[in-house]
Amino acid sequence: MLALLFILFAGLGIGCALAVVAQRNPLYSAISLVGVFISLACLYVMLAAPFIAAVQVIVYAGAIMVLVVFVIMLLNVEQEERGRMRLKFLVPTAVALAAVLIAEIAFILVSVQEFRVTPTTAASDVGVTHSIGSQLFTKYLLPFEITSILLLMAIVGAMTLARRGGLLSPTARVIPGAQQFPVSLIDPNAAPDDLTPVEPQSTDEAARLLGVGYRDRDE
Amino acid sequence: MVSVTETETNKMEPQLSWYLALSAILFTIGVTGVIIKRNIIAMFMCIELMLNAVNLTFVAFASFFQDVTGQLFVFIVMTVAAAEAAVGLGIIIAIFRNRETLDVDEASILKL
Repeated sequence: MLALLFILFAGLGIGCALAVVAQRNPLYSAISLVGVFISLACLYVMLAAPFIAAVQVIVYAGAIMVLVVFVIMLLNVEQEERGRMRLKFLVPTAVALAAVLIAEIAFILVSVQEFRVTPTTAASDVGVTHSIGSQLFTKYLLPFEITSILLLMAIVGAMTLARRGGLLSPTARVIPGAQQFPVSLIDPNAAPDDLTPVEPQSTDEAARLLGVGYRDRDE
Repeated sequence: MVSVTETETNKMEPQLSWYLALSAILFTIGVTGVIIKRNIIAMFMCIELMLNAVNLTFVAFASFFQDVTGQLFVFIVMTVAAAEAAVGLGIIIAIFRNRETLDVDEASILKL
C-alpha cells in the first residue's frame, strides 16, 4: 500500500519535474514546479514529517512560487523562441552529463546496498512540531539566529536590487519652489552633516537632485 | 522460509534507497534544466528543483534514522531558498530593466 503511494507520488514528481524542464513557457514551468512541490509534500507525510510537509506547501508552493509567478507576469515574458540556441551541443552534453550523474549515484546506492535500514512503524515524535521546535531553540539556536540574519540581508538586498535609481518613484514630480534640501546635498563645499534647509535655485536643479521629472505648478 | 516472507513484506514498504533514487533523479533533472535552459527564470526554477531533491534526501534519512536533525536542516534550507528567491528575483528584475531580455546569453558579461 505504501509502496503504491510512493510510486504514485514519485511518478507525479518526476513527471512534473520533466515538464518543468520541457516547457518553453516559464509560466507552465512554474505550474509544473508547484506539482513537484505538492508531490514532495505528500512524500514527506509518508516519511512521518508532517511539519516539514506543511512548511513545504506554505513556503515553497505558497510564498516562493507566488513570487516567481509574480515576476513572470510582471516582466511579461514571451515564449522562449526555438532555434535561437547558439550552443547546439549543449543539450546532448547535458543529457550525457545527467546520465553520468545518475550512473554515479546508482553505483553508490548499489555499493551501500548491504546497509539496510528498516523503517520503524512505531509511533515516534521525530517529525512533530514539538520536537523540531525544542531542538531548534536549544541545540541549534546558533544556526537559527544566523538564518534570521540571512533573511534580514535578503530583505535589504532585494530592496536595493529591485529599486530604481533615486529615492523617489519615477512618477513623482517636482513642483517648483516646493522642495527644500539640506545644504550638504546641493553645495559640494558645505559640510556633509550640514542639514540647513535650502531651496534649490531652479526646478531643473531640484529634479536632477531627486532624479525625477518635473511639471509646472499650474498643471 | 520465514526470512522469505519477511523480505516480501519488506519489499512492500518503501525502502530508503527508493527515496534516495527519487532524489537523485529529481536532482539530475534539475541539473539538466540549469544547463539547457536559456531563460533565467526557468534556470532559477530548476535550482529550486535541485534544492528540493536535497531536502527529500534529508527528510528520508531523518525518518529512517529517527533523528530530527535532518528535518532541522530542511527547515534551514527552506529559509535559504526563500532568501535566494527574494534576492534572485531582484537580480532578475534588475537585469530585465537594464537589458530588456531574460536570455542569459545576453547577460554573459557583468558590464552593461
